[in-house]
Amino acid sequence: MSTTSAGLEFHDVTVAYGRRPVLWNVDLTVPGACLFGIIGPNGAGKSTLLKAALGLVPLAGGEVRILGAPLEQVRSRVGYVPQRESVDWDFPVTVTDVVLMGTYARLGWLRRPGPRERSLAAECLDRVGLADVADRQIGRLSGGQQQRVFLARALAQQADVYFLDEPMAGVDARSQERIFRVLSDLRAEGRLVVIVHHDLRSVAEWFDAVALIDMRLVATGPVAEVLTPENLRRTYAGRLDVLDEIGRAVAEGGRTP
Amino acid sequence: MMEFDSTHLWMHFWAIATAATVSAGCALVGSFLVVRRLSLLGDAISHAVLPGIVLAVLAGGRPGGAGVFLGAVVAALVTVWLTNLLGTHAGLAEDAGAGVAFTTLFAIGVVLVTALASRVDIDPGCVLYGILELVPFDTVPIVGLEVPRALLAAATVLVVLVVAAALCWKELVFTAFDPAAARAAGLPVSLVSAGLLVATSLATVASFEAVGAILVVAMLAVPAAAAELLVRRFHRMLLVAVALGVAGSIVGYLAAWHFNTNAAGMIAVVLGIEYLLAAILAPGDGIVARMASRESLRWRVACEDRLASLWRAEEGDAAALAPRTLVDRLAQARLVFGGRIVPGRAGGLTDIGREEARVIVRSHRLWEAWLGRHVALPLDHLHPPAEWIEHHLGAEVRGRIAADLEGDVGDPHGRDIPPEEFPRRAANEPTR
Repeated sequence: MSTTSAGLEFHDVTVAYGRRPVLWNVDLTVPGACLFGIIGPNGAGKSTLLKAALGLVPLAGGEVRILGAPLEQVRSRVGYVPQRESVDWDFPVTVTDVVLMGTYARLGWLRRPGPRERSLAAECLDRVGLADVADRQIGRLSGGQQQRVFLARALAQQADVYFLDEPMAGVDARSQERIFRVLSDLRAEGRLVVIVHHDLRSVAEWFDAVALIDMRLVATGPVAEVLTPENLRRTYAGRLDVLDEIGRAVAEGGRTP
Repeated sequence: MMEFDSTHLWMHFWAIATAATVSAGCALVGSFLVVRRLSLLGDAISHAVLPGIVLAVLAGGRPGGAGVFLGAVVAALVTVWLTNLLGTHAGLAEDAGAGVAFTTLFAIGVVLVTALASRVDIDPGCVLYGILELVPFDTVPIVGLEVPRALLAAATVLVVLVVAAALCWKELVFTAFDPAAARAAGLPVSLVSAGLLVATSLATVASFEAVGAILVVAMLAVPAAAAELLVRRFHRMLLVAVALGVAGSIVGYLAAWHFNTNAAGMIAVVLGIEYLLAAILAPGDGIVARMASRESLRWRVACEDRLASLWRAEEGDAAALAPRTLVDRLAQARLVFGGRIVPGRAGGLTDIGREEARVIVRSHRLWEAWLGRHVALPLDHLHPPAEWIEHHLGAEVRGRIAADLEGDVGDPHGRDIPPEEFPRRAANEPTR
């Protein structure tokens, strides 16, 4: 992969739902090959930032570049692990079926997954420690196992940049350890891993760099420099009423009091 | 019952073939709708196509002709578009949006049909209930055979649907399961979703004449919902749904013939019965399977409680409770038969029985000790939860709990926790 350019760049990105901005003027550069955390309180716009990078929500302003190029040019090199609650786990598919979906985009129209894709899927399942449940229906897995299935599907995409949305939510300690190990391996292979995360305790242990987000970028940089009491207070305590009020005024086409 | 001659038999054959073909197409599309939790969309579309059909007929299209087909598909897409519009711009929830859009369009259709009754040859009754029995009278010749036009339309649609599903299989399944990830991976999710809507309108319109607007919903949703209960893989669900749809159509038609009633209605009733049977008999989650699993647990608990009670009696704490209830007595008999309890009135534990009983009591006291250590619970509240959990602890978790207790070998009531492995006495160790 081209490690010369930055892995991920947000240039003055603003995201709005309807007309109401929920994420203001994020300007952020993530270097290549690291574990990068997007940290912030509930409703801070962490997932929204991720979805903006993936083109899943439209930008109201600004630009996102991945591996130095617009998303459309590098889509096949981007892997995504959505929040576990975003899908219906009663869907009638097996663990292997889901992992194989990671190979679909590369296969293109009309081609079916063959022996090569199947062995890749088996390999990815092995990496996340789920080889023994490969044929199980996904609804019969624990939360941690379901999250690892999603991770295995992203691995099967063989991407260079991975986006994970709350991969540790509702996940047991053992699965969490396993997931972090796989992600560290990805970094060691020279890939960029961007993780929306809310557990501050594990940040220092696993992450290289973070961005603190609360409707806007509060601070970004190496973990040791960013996780200062002052920055955390500004992220978690200082709910910015002014952004809320302006956002509402913009949405209603009116004026703030 | 009707007359039994060869002309009639042909008629019935054509009607059944039409119903089965229509049903197969609906089950195919319906499977995708059911797993995407969009069954109601089938309902919406099947109603909303009415004004499209009326306007197409008014514009000179023949009922069942290609022009009418097109009109219906356009009306279906307008419904979906309206639903989205109401959702994004009027702030209406999606189901409410669909509710507003399709009822309004259907109502417009009803108004048009009745207002233009003189110029439009559509019977409102047959729009609702269909006229399967009359299908064989409207035929087109194909290689010397008079084939019903409705069957021809349904078969064409079925072929189109099967080919489309086979070609876009990967995209359809990924989009249905996880649209966001599919979109992020670069699959044309909007196109696939729109395609599914067009397929739904095609299946609906092809079924319209045979089964009507209301019963086509049954054909879309019921076989697929039943199949979802029965199998755990999507491609199998599709095949089972189609099989159930076809079987329901044949059985329903024959039943209607026998009872001399509306065929489409009877088919829907039979499909409903199929669903009921699936819900009762489904492996794993069916009502019967769940009852069986509950009873088998009750039975295991009774046996284990019996063993534990005898073990405690041997420990000298309490007298063994005599079996009282019927289940207790059966459990006692079963344990005697299985060599866990010595036969006869005294009825002590055999060696195997003692091993098993020890594990139960160990589980019980480990759990009491664990609760005593980690949960703020009064001493006299520890027994009931342990009575419940003792039946569900396995060796590995018992080991973890024991390790957590750090060699504390007593339970909170001061009794010994029996060891996991029976301690083998060395030959020279004196017996106590």
